[in-house]
Amino acid sequence: MNFLLRSIAAVAMLLVAPMSAIAAPPALPGDSVYQVEASVVDQDGRAYAWQALRGRPQVVTMFYAHCHLMCPLIIASGKSLQGSLDPRQREELGFVSITLDPARDTPAALLEVAQMHRLDDHWRLLRPGDADVRTLAAALGVRYRAQPDGTFNHTSVLILLDRDGRIVARSEVTDLTPDPRFVATVREYLTGASAPGSN
Amino acid sequence: MLAASIFAVALLAGTSPAASRGFVEITGGTFQSTVRYDGDDGKRSVAAFAIATRAVTAREFDEFVRTHPQWARDRVPSLLADSGYLANWPHANADAPVTHVSWFAADAYCKSIGARFPDWDEWEYVAAADATRSDARSDAVWRGRTFQDGTPRAMDARDGASANIHGVSGMHGAAWEWVGDYATLMGDADKRGVENGDRLQFCGATGLSFANRDDYATLKRVALLSAMEPRSTLGNLGFRCARSTP
Repeated sequence: MNFLLRSIAAVAMLLVAPMSAIAAPPALPGDSVYQVEASVVDQDGRAYAWQALRGRPQVVTMFYAHCHLMCPLIIASGKSLQGSLDPRQREELGFVSITLDPARDTPAALLEVAQMHRLDDHWRLLRPGDADVRTLAAALGVRYRAQPDGTFNHTSVLILLDRDGRIVARSEVTDLTPDPRFVATVREYLTGASAPGSN
Repeated sequence: MLAASIFAVALLAGTSPAASRGFVEITGGTFQSTVRYDGDDGKRSVAAFAIATRAVTAREFDEFVRTHPQWARDRVPSLLADSGYLANWPHANADAPVTHVSWFAADAYCKSIGARFPDWDEWEYVAAADATRSDARSDAVWRGRTFQDGTPRAMDARDGASANIHGVSGMHGAAWEWVGDYATLMGDADKRGVENGDRLQFCGATGLSFANRDDYATLKRVALLSAMEPRSTLGNLGFRCARSTP
């Protein structure tokens, strides 16, 4: 009996511990895309670990700057999504576009993309280390292939990540505007996620 | 005689201290790949690179897990490996190629030794060779033997199987091998047949076909790899590493 009570207490402690541990972040969920290790540099030349994006919901895409067909669509689709959010939701959500072409997409090239598309400071355009592009693509379920002419075949997708990097929803980009169902999912998620006491 | 000298050189290349950690330099070249993409003739240009002379062994992977405990069977996150990960641990034969490893685990291993995966083209280029020819694929008998790839009857799984002309062993062994770009060997199967689907989802064309219908072994290998998720593991799927040469 005592043993049973102690066990229950121990389990309760385990359940409570992650919520009360403010100093140390709770363990990363096993299915978080932040489980892969990768280093990135953003359009402002700041270098950090991929895992540093943890902490706020993000909409993630992979693209490359020299792409003239799909990639402007991907960014336009993200901007359209951003435009459909209310101010509080806009504040909450980050946008992350990761280049498939780190050889050409230097931070300066990415900054140019950000300026050309008038992306606000919720957007981060990331250049992974050469060896990390495939690893990130694998974690995000993005397939790509470099073509001899310098272009890339790749999956065009918007992926909603929760604060801890779990994939909440994904949507293939087919147009300048995102799938309305995906927009609804993002809005719903942000409303739920920003409500007091929830995560 | 010529074959014998080449073989001796290959042996030397495989064991010489210059090929540190068991890598050999592969001279690049143009190559007819069995795998074709939409609008290409299968011709590939492979740049010079270095490849491991054999697959990573169970012993080597065990050492990696000891120094990188986040890759232990009971600690690896579900994103990075399925429940079959290292299911055959400990190996009966520590010198055999490690299997039951996910793409992510293999990727991390190669990075940990300052290497990378070979890409498919590189892998196929090296695998086309036998002990005396850099491209043995026109030999129907040799090609027929590759049908046993991935099984215990594979030609390189036999005792005393010789290295190929590059000094590389086990390319046609009992275990298949991951490659870096395995995920793009075929288009995403579940999107095939969707009207305009490919054009919209990819920047460019993606269709894949095979240059040589007789090359059943390659087709089987590509089909198998394409069916994998990067977290998947199989009892007969291992890997080797490669390096770019400056």
